[in-house]
Amino acid sequence: MPEVRYARIAAIFLRTEIQYAMAYRANFTFGIVRLFIVVGTSIGAALILFQYTDAMNGWTLPQMIALLGVYYLVQGLADLMFMPSVTKLMEQVRLGTLDFVLLKPANSQFLVSTRYVEPTQIASVIVGAAVVALGASRMQPSPALSDALSFALALACGVALVYSLLIAIGTLAFWFVRMDNLLVIFSSLIEAGRFPVDIYPGWLRATLSTLVPIGIAVTVPAQAISGRVDALGLATIVLVGAGSLVFTAWFWRRGLRSYTGASA
Amino acid sequence: MNAPVFVRDLAKSYRVHEREEGLGAAMRALVKRRYRDVRAVDGITFEIGEGEVVGFLGPNGAGKTTTLKMLAGLLYPTSGEATVLGHTPWLRESRFLTQITLLMGNRSQLVWDIPAADSFRVLQQIYEIGESDYRVRLDELSDLLDLGPLLHKPVRQLSLGERMKVEFAASLVHAPRVIFLDEPTIGLDVTAQTRIRRFVADYNRRTGATILLTSHYMDDVVALCRRVLVIHHGKLLYDGGLADLATRMAPYKLVVVTLADGASPRFDEFGEVVASEEGRTTVRVPRESAAERTAAIIRAFEQQVVDLSVEDPPIEEVIDRVFSGERPLSQVRS
Repeated sequence: MPEVRYARIAAIFLRTEIQYAMAYRANFTFGIVRLFIVVGTSIGAALILFQYTDAMNGWTLPQMIALLGVYYLVQGLADLMFMPSVTKLMEQVRLGTLDFVLLKPANSQFLVSTRYVEPTQIASVIVGAAVVALGASRMQPSPALSDALSFALALACGVALVYSLLIAIGTLAFWFVRMDNLLVIFSSLIEAGRFPVDIYPGWLRATLSTLVPIGIAVTVPAQAISGRVDALGLATIVLVGAGSLVFTAWFWRRGLRSYTGASA
Repeated sequence: MNAPVFVRDLAKSYRVHEREEGLGAAMRALVKRRYRDVRAVDGITFEIGEGEVVGFLGPNGAGKTTTLKMLAGLLYPTSGEATVLGHTPWLRESRFLTQITLLMGNRSQLVWDIPAADSFRVLQQIYEIGESDYRVRLDELSDLLDLGPLLHKPVRQLSLGERMKVEFAASLVHAPRVIFLDEPTIGLDVTAQTRIRRFVADYNRRTGATILLTSHYMDDVVALCRRVLVIHHGKLLYDGGLADLATRMAPYKLVVVTLADGASPRFDEFGEVVASEEGRTTVRVPRESAAERTAAIIRAFEQQVVDLSVEDPPIEEVIDRVFSGERPLSQVRS
């Protein structure tokens, strides 16, 4: 059964990476301290903002907190699994060590996506989830089961979308070798996801929903848990999420054809 | 088509971007790039039989690595065809990839900061090797390569020679039937080179695996390969026995004469003197008249000759002559 086999491969990759991360204990600790500072200040900023207003473009404070939670959850997952893989992919393309990945009898996109993990970022994911729960617990009325289910669906699709984009950027390295700056631009645009996409002016909202769809990857799940998403919004993110996975798989195979490896 | 490796008219061109040196040229190149097509491999054809060990010779940039990479499925060719164990390599089917390996002497597949044993566990999962098979193979490889404690040290603490042995084990743990070795002994000291050579020969004998290897060290090729492919500027110049290579490519022999009392008279009339020291003189003579000229030398210095031998030129020299264009080859074995 291929699924079992791939789960085993992913598990052994994770085990290797955890072993590696544990070797640097101080770094691990500071990573967690940093996370609490970042989360604390941004929730603090939201609290200050809401002393002057009850709602921001229809978003109440608990809903804003849930959105921040989704943001840390999505960003945490990206930093936990996707960013390290993409950074490493670019390095492997430049040095030619991607050859060894391509020689293995397993899906190369899978191997590249799962091989490198940054275990310290798991804390960001846990904190994000806790912040979503905190926001949800303060909502009036409380979210219904259907809201929780559409939240889970929207979140999965949002994560798929961010994953696909990052891998697609990494795939560009097959043609251009160095894409580090594009990756930096992308990660700074991810920062914009801290606020609901509908508070931005039109042109920026369009960018954050299409070109760098971090806006919808974070906003739609937060709308879902707040009971503010309609069937159309949900259908859109499912389509976009699934479509981006298909596109990236195709783009990856296309990129491999252009891969020439570092010579000699 | 039953040969494990079958190659016909295989060619690969790269598009390379060129610019003049200097900052100005670098800035111009940002806007407008000039490209040139380089034919790295220019239509080569050969077959390798089951269990053969074949040496792939050529200067840097001749197209050796490009060919190996196409055969291992890493590169798409520009034209031509190839099958390895009945598979088209660049389709990279799992059933093909589980049966081959490519080891590159100048690159490492092991993770630097963790012991090799952990990397081996990853390979075990990827290649779906059962626990008992895995144990047997690792023991066998440990034994042949004398790995012992090396597997449990972080890879960065290993010497180059030690690391290479571990790389070999990592590349062979899935028991491939076709093995591509790209400069497997590069940078190693003489002892380590000898060990690796002995290992490759043993491994081939034990498993019957088919091996295609490139090397800059002629000693590797002489020790391991009875057959060689010579490639230059992407074209196959020679395909045949190592012994025949000298006959075909170097139409001369070396007569080495040692005379008593360190005498060194003039040998110019017999052939071209290539070395002369303390009574020992090496004369290059045309292959077809080697016997006749040797006899003439003996007649001329009858009383003084202490020692005399007729030798083929060293293989490095032969290869060097071909690559420097001194003696173009027309003959290619069919």
